[in-house]
Amino acid sequence: MTLRYSPLDAVHRELGARMVPFGGWDMPLNYAAGTLAEHRACRTSAVVFDVSHLGTVRVAGPNAYERLQAAFTNDLGKIEPGRCQYTHLLDDDGSVLDDIIVWWRHDDVFDVMPNASNTAGVRSALGEETDGFTIADVTTQRAILAIQGPTARDLLSAVLPAAAAVGRFRVADVEIDGTPCVVAGTGYTGEDGVEIAVPVERAADVWRMVTSVGIEPAGLGARDTLRLEAGLPLHGHELGAGITTLNAGLGWVVSWTKGPFRGREALDAQRETGVEPVLVGIRTEGKRPPRAEMPVLRGGAEVGRVSSGNYSPMLDCGVALAFVDASVATGDAVTLVGRGNELVGTVVDLPFVRSPR
Amino acid sequence: MNIPEDLRYSRDHEWVRVEGSAARIGITDFAQDNLGDVVFVDLPDVGRVVEASEAFSEVESTKSVSEIFAPIGGAITQVNAALGDSAELLNSDPYGEGWICVIEVADPAQLDELLDAAGYRALIGD
Repeated sequence: MTLRYSPLDAVHRELGARMVPFGGWDMPLNYAAGTLAEHRACRTSAVVFDVSHLGTVRVAGPNAYERLQAAFTNDLGKIEPGRCQYTHLLDDDGSVLDDIIVWWRHDDVFDVMPNASNTAGVRSALGEETDGFTIADVTTQRAILAIQGPTARDLLSAVLPAAAAVGRFRVADVEIDGTPCVVAGTGYTGEDGVEIAVPVERAADVWRMVTSVGIEPAGLGARDTLRLEAGLPLHGHELGAGITTLNAGLGWVVSWTKGPFRGREALDAQRETGVEPVLVGIRTEGKRPPRAEMPVLRGGAEVGRVSSGNYSPMLDCGVALAFVDASVATGDAVTLVGRGNELVGTVVDLPFVRSPR
Repeated sequence: MNIPEDLRYSRDHEWVRVEGSAARIGITDFAQDNLGDVVFVDLPDVGRVVEASEAFSEVESTKSVSEIFAPIGGAITQVNAALGDSAELLNSDPYGEGWICVIEVADPAQLDELLDAAGYRALIGD
């Protein structure tokens, strides 16, 4: 498969970024500072990620609201234009095909943001285009910069005050030097911040404005350890085939009152019979990182398996997300079994790291 | 890429510094750069006897776990205990403070099978 390149590709190479393939895109894993330093910068000051590999599917026209309501699990009736919502696209068996942020930009204009390379799946889930109702994959028209961290808004306000002012889970059209951009108060790190969708021809300019005020670049390596500390799911690990929204502990993403949506019957059935396995957090002793696929043992018996694990830079120990038997509870002592080693751990409440906001 | 002239190198990206009848061992600058931020080193036990090419240690970074192979055979006489608290020394000073262990060389002829700096530079295409 041919890799796709971000509109900011040249900027990353100039900065000496280590590039890796991710979801069909060639993206920065880390810059010169390295993953740990980038992670800490996001928790203590502010960083910028290129997340242009996320998809943008623009859904517009009459019926757009109804189509999205029938396709996704969450209820747009809980929000209004100018707001964002996290939601899931399910298969008929309840498996999470994708986790998505919807930017409800105007009355009948929605920017639907799936994971990298899943725009086709979203498109087909929304049905046929009809008179006035359009579904457009506009991913290649823009770059997205995610500016995240406790000082993100303060620093950004010096160069892009209108963007810095977009509130948490709000979305607004913002002009940057005459160029129309879309800014949302969303992210994937557990920190406050905004995401800026900018037309490709201005992407490098906006990147330079953002980094000119001391917001440091950060790569996918830090993005992954940050989301793990924040207890946020990654599709392909905590969401995917055979894993429903309820298995992942994200029942709040499902509206039981809005009417039918794809996968609803499977979730109803699961509620009847009981949800198992369930997702929990495990904190391990020492710095050795737990890894995906490690069996989880309690009292010598296997009770589940790790879905994601790594070293937590803020806690200075290992942290893991794992799918386990429903009998596993916070405070349980567990061991994670690796190749020739065992990590001693405790089941803890998520998130591992909670940032004051 | 830093490749000191006075060291010998394995094809698995370890360096060897001959110190009398012993050999100090670590990973190369190229290896640490590829691993990314190292957070844990699984040190071998002192006294363990390893064969050349035997996997005897694991290095874990934020992105992966990698085995370390003994560039020469012999008994391990020292390990770098500082790595227990400061695994990042492998990144910051791979040829110095980031050394992994010292092996008492069982067969000095094995040293001749290692690469010199020029050979290692060619191996990694530097």
